[in-house]
Amino acid sequence: MAVQIVMDRTGDTRHEFDSADSRAVALAEERFRDLTGKGFRAVALGRDGGPGKLVRKFDPQVEQTLFIPQLQGG
Amino acid sequence: MDRVGQILRALFRRALSEHGRDAPALTDIVIERAHGRLEPRIGVQFSNGYRTWSPLSPSDCYAFCERHATWDIGGIRVALLREGHPIYAQMREEHAAELRRLRRRREELEMLRSRDGVATLLERLRREADALDRDLIWRQREYPDAAPQPEPRRPDAGRRLLQWWAQQRDQLAGSMFFLRSSNEGGSKRAQERGIQLLKQNLAPAQRQQLDKFGFFDVVGGSTGKRYRIRNGRQMNIEQLDKNGRRVCGWCFFPQGNLVAGDVMLAQKMALELYEVEALNIANRY
Repeated sequence: MAVQIVMDRTGDTRHEFDSADSRAVALAEERFRDLTGKGFRAVALGRDGGPGKLVRKFDPQVEQTLFIPQLQGG
Repeated sequence: MDRVGQILRALFRRALSEHGRDAPALTDIVIERAHGRLEPRIGVQFSNGYRTWSPLSPSDCYAFCERHATWDIGGIRVALLREGHPIYAQMREEHAAELRRLRRRREELEMLRSRDGVATLLERLRREADALDRDLIWRQREYPDAAPQPEPRRPDAGRRLLQWWAQQRDQLAGSMFFLRSSNEGGSKRAQERGIQLLKQNLAPAQRQQLDKFGFFDVVGGSTGKRYRIRNGRQMNIEQLDKNGRRVCGWCFFPQGNLVAGDVMLAQKMALELYEVEALNIANRY
């Protein structure tokens, strides 16, 4: 099972999907496009706290994708 | 009020100022006759054994005796007690009320002082961090290639004290900022989820740093510069030099009023994966 983790005010919201299920994958891809279109950055989380990797294109094989909202200066 | 009444009030005032909140009960009022070169005097005695005296002229005493139509020592004593008790009771009550008012005022002042003081204290602690950090052993382990420090002037005990103080400082700063941010956004559950997600995505060394000191260090993905992310949501990033000293502060955070854990994770990811872009957005301070 793959999971998309979206940061939000509740801490995070997790969307799990089966990468073998084409319908679930389509939904996950739509969510990916929707969020990145809104300015979220998608990061494929690394193992054991490693730096991870920026994901610019949807990849159903990524186990954990973290969506980070757009940054702003303080 | 006659002269005897004024003298009694002065004696009671003296007793109350001596004993503060624990003002004792009035037990006796006595008049001593003139003795040798000593003039007559009036004394009040309290339940805790405290006694205080004041001279009493015959004319003062005469007016009192005339008013109460009593001329022997025993009768005067009874009249003095009858008159003295209500005066003392009232003065005691007023004194207690005044003490309560002063205590309330002091508490209010302390509260105001501590409210303003927290921000000032944290800011001062951070500013002094670099000087103190030079004494931390863990820093020497972490930066073995750093330029050799001058021979420490402080003895070992002083160094250990500084180490302890630096740890306390970081823990205090961490917890204060965490408390502050917990009021700013998200429920307690959300805060916990944020911290959990953050810890899941920290390297073991970073996790250990966060638990111990309330911050963790990150290496910039593009420049290799070192950053320190402190527990918080804003103005919590410091850029460090090769010796671990603060160069400047950076302020950026994700939009959406996220909880502290999420903010720190977003800051870590940004510095590791899109550092230049993040610093272009950030404000330097």
